[in-house]
Amino acid sequence: MSTATAAPDGRRTRPWAHLLVGRVTPLGEVLAGGRVATKALQIAVAVFLSVVLWRALYVGTSSQAGLDREQAVTYAVLGTVLVSTRFSASWLNGDTVLQRMQQGTILFWFLRPMSARRYYFVRGLGELGYAQVWLAVTVLVCLPLGVIQEPDPAMLPVFVVSLLLGNAIFYELNLVLDLLCFWTVMNQSAVQIMFFVQTLLSGGFAPLWFFPDWFRTVSLLLPFQGTLNVPVSIYVGRLPASQIAGSLALQVGWVVGLWLFNRWLWERASRRVTVQGG
Amino acid sequence: MTPSAPGEPIVTATHLTKVFHTTSRRSGRWGALSSLVAPQRASKTAVNDVSFSVGAGELVALLGPNGAGKSTTIKMLTGILQPTAGSVTVAGLDPHRNRERNARNIGAVFGQRTQLWWDLPARESLAILRDIFEIDRAAYERRLAELDELLDLSAFWDSRVRHLSLGQRVRCDLAAALLHDPPIVFLDEPTIGMDVVVKEQVREFLRHQVHERGRTVLLTTHDMTEVARLAERVVLVNHGQLVVDGTLDDIRRRFGGSWQVRVTLADPGADVAVDGLRIVDRDGPVVAFGPGDDGTPTLEDALRRIIERHRITGVVIEEDDLEDVMRQAYLDRELPDTVA
Repeated sequence: MSTATAAPDGRRTRPWAHLLVGRVTPLGEVLAGGRVATKALQIAVAVFLSVVLWRALYVGTSSQAGLDREQAVTYAVLGTVLVSTRFSASWLNGDTVLQRMQQGTILFWFLRPMSARRYYFVRGLGELGYAQVWLAVTVLVCLPLGVIQEPDPAMLPVFVVSLLLGNAIFYELNLVLDLLCFWTVMNQSAVQIMFFVQTLLSGGFAPLWFFPDWFRTVSLLLPFQGTLNVPVSIYVGRLPASQIAGSLALQVGWVVGLWLFNRWLWERASRRVTVQGG
Repeated sequence: MTPSAPGEPIVTATHLTKVFHTTSRRSGRWGALSSLVAPQRASKTAVNDVSFSVGAGELVALLGPNGAGKSTTIKMLTGILQPTAGSVTVAGLDPHRNRERNARNIGAVFGQRTQLWWDLPARESLAILRDIFEIDRAAYERRLAELDELLDLSAFWDSRVRHLSLGQRVRCDLAAALLHDPPIVFLDEPTIGMDVVVKEQVREFLRHQVHERGRTVLLTTHDMTEVARLAERVVLVNHGQLVVDGTLDDIRRRFGGSWQVRVTLADPGADVAVDGLRIVDRDGPVVAFGPGDDGTPTLEDALRRIIERHRITGVVIEEDDLEDVMRQAYLDRELPDTVA
């Protein structure tokens, strides 16, 4: 009999392998029968209703809040897709911190040679990547149909950068909520409040340009508008050129600030692992 | 980590203690409010000054009633929980301080929880764990084939985890825990809720892992048959404290496990007497012997002495059920006294 020891064969030969773990959420979506079709239907209905609503609001007028009809419809369609694809995938896959806490399976996140923080990050990359696929498909379907306007080619790279930063802010904001579970064990109420506040203040319900000045000033002080309003406003050409650099800088600031805060939270959270049910 | 020789301590718990601090909610109409303003805090010592070690290549059962501190002990040994006091060493590492390095040395199965992804086919879950543990693809395929041979996984590993039976799911979890070939395996109630066929398959799998692969296994279970068939050594904890660290016979001796040998004499009228044994009952040629007042000798010795002294035509052995012994052990509230 030989006694098994550390460092058996086959370890640490694939240092890039952790990135592949990001497939966990998209794979769950694709392999769980019907979820892709349901998501496609949900997006199609949401886009259709948004188009009908915003075209109706523009009957008799060509421009409101600095947006013409095509800009407003494009903003609404892109916003709708971002809201409906960013939120749900890991929840449906039962892989949120709250669900793992309640099932007691969060402990496995601390029994692996990949830290819980890194797993959460890589999974988030996959999840947001999956959401961007839906966004791209929607754009590719809606553009030839004339539902949304084409972006200014010169601004397209700026839009992509701003969208990536927006996704990063979205990720960090949700991470704050998830990490709170390590102290509260529950976060459903906080998630519901956050969903409403984030959707409203990011421009997900209606373009922020339609809100009063004081409201837009307040939203400028908060991170939410950076998740949606900034990139989508760049796409539709509503954000004045003079404000683009400042808006991108603000997005970067929020990403860095929230990242530092979450790094601090992770360190404390991982010392507070509790497992419900023994 | 340096290779551990068989029998050399590979898991060591020294004066291990865990105290949980909780906030209790008051009852009554204003209970929620008063709990918010002035929360009532309470402390519970789940594990209290427990010390033991497990040698490399050993299979040890950690026993105790519900709430005794077994699972908390396992969670400290695996590095999930940080001990309030005392220390843990697993393969030379403090598991809590070195979680990621420690993870490469240990596998863990918590029978009531799964580490697999609910919506993925079991095989996809295993492939994700392959990437988490950065296992070389060839080594992964080799181990998967070996685990499939022992646990019959391929019959159901293409099903999504949510569709697996409990026995199938736990077998996949066992495979998941061993994919990275860890030298130490922690199993918290691995056969809970399984039917007898699957239980025996899992036991055979564990025997194979210990005797053929040289793994060190520490398991908790409430199944006494499992303990009797698998464990070379048992560590019994109760009320958070270590009660016995020894063999099942030690537990039998300590908690009144007894036996009777009922023999039929070839000569019904013979005078009956055997050194060290007590005659419990006699009905013609049938005589029931029990241990002497000092609890000795062992059953094997008693049989030998009876056969040496008398000609017999029949023998029936009645032993206290192991579960009866364990019930006594669990109900015992005496101060712990380690039996080495």
